[in-house]
Amino acid sequence: MTRGTDAALPRGTSLALIGKGGVDRLLAPVHRWVWADGHRRAQKLLGFATTEADSGRDMARAAECTSDPLLRRLYLRHSQDESKHARLFTARGNAILAALGAGHAGSRFQADWLSPGERGLDDLEVAGQGDAALLAFLFLSERAGARRFVVYGRVLGADPETRDVFAQVLRDEAFHTNYSYAQLRRVSPTRHGWHLAWAWLGRWWKAYLRLASAIGGVMGAVLLTVQYFVLLPVFALLAKRSSTREPPGWVESRKAGVGLLRSQY
Amino acid sequence: MKILGISAHFHDSAAALVVDGVPVASVQQERLSRIKNDPGFPLEAIEWCLDQASLQPEDLDAVVFYEKPMLKFERILTMALRAFPRSWRSFPHAMRNTLGEKLWVKGIIKSHLGVPGDRILFTEHHQAHAAAAFLTQPAKTAAILTADGKATIDLLRELRFPHSLGMLYSTFTAFLGFQVNEGEYKVMGLASYGQPRFVEQVRQVIRPVQGKPGAFTLDLDYFDFHTTARRSFSDELVRLFGPPRAPHERLDPSTPDGARYADIAASVQRVLEDTLVELTRALHQETGLAVLCFGGGVALNGVANARILRESGFEQLYVPSAPGDAGCALGAALYADRIHFGNRHVQLPDHPYWGPRVDPDELARIAREDGLPLETVDDDSAALDRTVRALADGQIVGWMDGAAELGPRALGNRSILAAPHSVQMKDRLNREIKYREEFRPFAPAVPIEDADTYFELPSGGARLGALMSGVFPVRPQWRDRLAAVTHVDGTARVQTVQRDMAPRLYELLRRYGGKTGIPVLLNTSFNLAGEPIVTRAVEGYSTFRRCGIDVLVAGRHFVTKPGAAATARVERSDETFARVADESQDEAAAC
Repeated sequence: MTRGTDAALPRGTSLALIGKGGVDRLLAPVHRWVWADGHRRAQKLLGFATTEADSGRDMARAAECTSDPLLRRLYLRHSQDESKHARLFTARGNAILAALGAGHAGSRFQADWLSPGERGLDDLEVAGQGDAALLAFLFLSERAGARRFVVYGRVLGADPETRDVFAQVLRDEAFHTNYSYAQLRRVSPTRHGWHLAWAWLGRWWKAYLRLASAIGGVMGAVLLTVQYFVLLPVFALLAKRSSTREPPGWVESRKAGVGLLRSQY
Repeated sequence: MKILGISAHFHDSAAALVVDGVPVASVQQERLSRIKNDPGFPLEAIEWCLDQASLQPEDLDAVVFYEKPMLKFERILTMALRAFPRSWRSFPHAMRNTLGEKLWVKGIIKSHLGVPGDRILFTEHHQAHAAAAFLTQPAKTAAILTADGKATIDLLRELRFPHSLGMLYSTFTAFLGFQVNEGEYKVMGLASYGQPRFVEQVRQVIRPVQGKPGAFTLDLDYFDFHTTARRSFSDELVRLFGPPRAPHERLDPSTPDGARYADIAASVQRVLEDTLVELTRALHQETGLAVLCFGGGVALNGVANARILRESGFEQLYVPSAPGDAGCALGAALYADRIHFGNRHVQLPDHPYWGPRVDPDELARIAREDGLPLETVDDDSAALDRTVRALADGQIVGWMDGAAELGPRALGNRSILAAPHSVQMKDRLNREIKYREEFRPFAPAVPIEDADTYFELPSGGARLGALMSGVFPVRPQWRDRLAAVTHVDGTARVQTVQRDMAPRLYELLRRYGGKTGIPVLLNTSFNLAGEPIVTRAVEGYSTFRRCGIDVLVAGRHFVTKPGAAATARVERSDETFARVADESQDEAAAC
């Protein structure tokens, strides 16, 4: 039996299921740079607070949807943990901002793409999931979050208060990782590996969709902006001229009548 | 005639079913999807409504959408054109936002429900608001005011977007760091802590139109909603009022910054009230009618409603339980029934309870499964007495009864109830249950016959309070004994409970009064911050387990959370979980 330990973890917290998170460990210098700025650190913590609060609501919904009493109790506790994390992150983020003073603008660059926290839960449709699929998803997302928080704990050596917050959160993340795996094996003793593989593919699919929609959004914005400057100026001129003819204040409404409800205009 | 009304794609979507002129069911999508202010197409709400009348979509005579998509698109496009070239940043966002499903509503309805296109109708947005406000109340004739226009059921005239009181208030909601379309209540609550020393500055932002009583224009130099999707206010507004509040910034009205925010809230609230009073006074003088129906999101402002009632000249003010967009689903269906199809007006039942009914046995089953103490009393009378005992003992009660309310307010069927007497109760509710800002008040519920004893209600106030739509002063001699529901300015958002409308809550209040001498209870919505009000028993149970509610009631079933016993149970469970987890880790390591 092997138990991993880490200086960033609270004493006694097991890393056996969390693992080491190779990519995040490689990115540790980048994370160190990202977290070095106080204002950015605060904003990231407040962002985490929002994500954790959303996750707490998702877990409450999971508890409401499951017909398994044990899972319901576990999900409710999970939900309470996430809400507690949201409060911890909010308090610490606000404390950092208060210490910096209101006038501190800081860096506006947040590097959110580097540190999504437990992202994945926030676009989870809990109601449409079976227990096994949800547990597999939870296991993977909690493990990913825990791995990342281990790295954050390491790079926050100069900020022991924030490091303590991550240590507290990590203790719960380890529990979430462990229980979701154990319960997955309980509810699906023969097919838990298949569920994990499917959830793993699902996470990559969602990542692809996020990337694709982001690229599509940029392309759409560029095309629409070009159209805006090429096609709209004449119409804009007409619209501005018509606005000068409109009296301020009340205008007469269109009269209701039979048949008008068939029109979309 | 069977008519389905739908509101969707902005915020708080909903569905309503009207059969032979009378609502059968209406529910907000958020209550079923459990996504706060869910703006999506309300398929679950539609299915639930049709189920209540055992209808299939093909049985419907008409499906009515609450606004005209092309008209809305034209207004968005016109606004972008008029702001050219400053609107270049907002234009792509506005187009992508609109050219998706918002513009193709007819096709979406056809594809989801399979109804022929000729049965799909579209009201104008404010026709739906006006119908929801007028056709759901008992008066036969009334003037109607919606958030940014005024009308009879045939709209007479309007102020065109973006010149809107709702837009003004929402912009200041964003400026004060609250979520738009959600945090407007907070601005109203915060206003009581401030002095309106910025009124003149607010009046630079919203200007009256000379010679047109009640008309106003917004000075768009102070707004950015038409030029960017990033924020709704401009740097000019920041120059006028100082730095805006960051959303996560702690808001303490006793600090200099907090006091400034409170003063800004007080100022915009004052200007909103003054504008509405001027507008309604002119409307009263013009129409000479006794009753005013007020719809639109601005009608949720209970402080302004109370001033309208006192100062406009109208004898009665009626605000529906869902004056915002959710209520437009019902309004659109009623409008089509009465105006488009010309059906005779049928007096509607006078209550807001059109949503799903709670199943008390579901609560009993879950409590048994989870091993929580469950008590089932013999009859309804014993249930009321048991609840009164808990409340009188200072316990906080999660109360689920009958059909869910339509609209944002808990009116006694999905409520958290508590004794209203001490300020400690308010603090406990904020700290252990609602997890919300300390400056937000809690509302009292009182039998309508006793309301005047405890609260200073103007003529017509009792009716306005039936749907918790007015804020009135607590009589000074009762403020100490109603400390949990008395706001810092000595007011309260009173629910005046009528026996006919809410018989069980009414009887509960009566019995509580019999036991304590004061028939008043604190009534707040049964939800946690960021979540919709609970609908089903399991959602009430989930909420109960995650916060400091002491007793959960549904029908004759009581689930309790005795402190020590509950804690012990959780600890035992944790040990079990830990064992399971350890075994799993061992297995994982072995693999």
